Amino acid sequence: MAKIESVNVKKTFKIKNKGNQYDELPALGGVDLKIDQGEFMVIVGPSGCGKSTFLDLVSGLTLPDEGTISIDGKSVTGPGLDRAIVFQQNALFPWRTTLKNVEFGLESINSDKDNRREIALDYLSLVGLSGYHNHYPHQLSGGMKQRVSIARALALNPGILLMDEPLAALDAQTREFLQRDILRISKESHKTVLFITHSIDEAVFLGDKVAVMSARPGIIKQVLDIPLTAEQRARDDVVATQEFVQSRQTLWKLLKEEVIKVQEAQIRFQSQSPAQSPARVSGNGLINAVRVLTKI
Amino acid sequence: MESNEFIKKLKTFALKSSAIVAFVLLWEAAPHLGLIDPIFIPPPSVVAVKIYQLLLSGELLVHIAASLQRVFLGFIIALVVALPLGFLIGGWFKTFEMAVDPLLQVLGQANPFTLFPVFMALLGIGELSKIGIIYWVCQWPVLFNTVSGIKSVDPVYIKVGRSMGLTKFNLFKKVLLPAALPAIFTGIRMSAVFAFFMLIGAEMIGAHSGLGFLIIQSEAVFNMPKMYAAIVSVALLGIAINYLMLNIEKKAMSWKEDIVV
Repeated sequence: MAKIESVNVKKTFKIKNKGNQYDELPALGGVDLKIDQGEFMVIVGPSGCGKSTFLDLVSGLTLPDEGTISIDGKSVTGPGLDRAIVFQQNALFPWRTTLKNVEFGLESINSDKDNRREIALDYLSLVGLSGYHNHYPHQLSGGMKQRVSIARALALNPGILLMDEPLAALDAQTREFLQRDILRISKESHKTVLFITHSIDEAVFLGDKVAVMSARPGIIKQVLDIPLTAEQRARDDVVATQEFVQSRQTLWKLLKEEVIKVQEAQIRFQSQSPAQSPARVSGNGLINAVRVLTKI
Repeated sequence: MESNEFIKKLKTFALKSSAIVAFVLLWEAAPHLGLIDPIFIPPPSVVAVKIYQLLLSGELLVHIAASLQRVFLGFIIALVVALPLGFLIGGWFKTFEMAVDPLLQVLGQANPFTLFPVFMALLGIGELSKIGIIYWVCQWPVLFNTVSGIKSVDPVYIKVGRSMGLTKFNLFKKVLLPAALPAIFTGIRMSAVFAFFMLIGAEMIGAHSGLGFLIIQSEAVFNMPKMYAAIVSVALLGIAINYLMLNIEKKAMSWKEDIVV
């Protein structure tokens, strides 16, 4: 039985347009995907294809409109401690120290203060941030903040790690180091990982399998096996190996088709109706009142 | 090394106080230069002596106590009412908020002085009406800033909390509240300023004690030094309150780097 299984998952968003009615935005058009225990599955796809939406569904933060997502055979009905998410943007609580951030999830399940502290310190050293437990997030660099986010996700010892472009906001060098760390940590702890990225190189380096998602409404176009061994990935010259280069080329071809579809759709959209974007719910009067008052 | 830093700090302090010192010196010299009539605007030396006399006799402290008591009570009641209300409106009752928001805006932006007679008619001319109007003035900044603070909490924090299976109560206590705290404190600080402002006004209109009353009473009997003593006391008290609030805020949010007291 697959660890995570998605069957014909569909999700449509309703966006308020100018006429005060709802436009339908189909995000996912029937996603079928199987992820095995201990597998590192990467999803790549063009912008807006629904990758993050899919991750939200697996995490249980939203529910699909159609289809099911099951974990160990059981349907996902909400968030759970068996899954932990790492987001792209900084999601560390600025009012808590690094240590307290990592302890956050533990507070609901572990009432032993010293034990929690011990566990949190362990995970901080796992991600290489031993001396920084009393720092506040604003004192850390972007890469360090993401390490703490990873430690926080790991602290609950979830079986599944969900990562939504966690390295996208980092500089290239930090990104490369963290890629290796993530790979090492997830393999050492036998976690099942669902990882979203835009970078094909990152996908090939990290993934046991890479799923290419089509343009919106997203479906899985193809799942590619990445034939790189752990020994190969551990080497510095992995990007020069035959397997890496071939996988990369195949992925690029698959992805290119979808990216072009998105671009063509945008050109069509813009030529039809000038300056129309899904209307955002306008800021309401209360907020404007505060703005008036705070100008005093 | 250390003495260099000390000299530097001294220089900064001197620079920062230079304008105030110049102002006070000018005020002191003005009667002698014939710029102002010392009967109408006594120089700082006379005012300082008067303040000292009033402190000694206890009269100033009586009025300060009366003022502080009113402002404190009105402020606390406003917090007790507006904070929970702000949490509920900002966090839970979205449709209720849409319905009630226009009314709140109208009420909140009404000039409180125009409503003071209403408070006096309803609550009499004693302490209640003054505490009432101060409460009224305080609750709006707290309410609006609390609602705004709760609403502008970065949704990713809530996502993190939810993904870790937090109960609604814990989500509020551990995520929403600390995240909204900076905005809430801004509201509290603003309301402290408004409270003090309104207090003096209310005391000038209908009171028998307090600093505002002291100013009006001194003016009525043409005791100018006493009036200025009261005015300066109000200014100093306002500065002290503001300073106190900033310090409380700084302590409560020690994790924030940008509060400069």
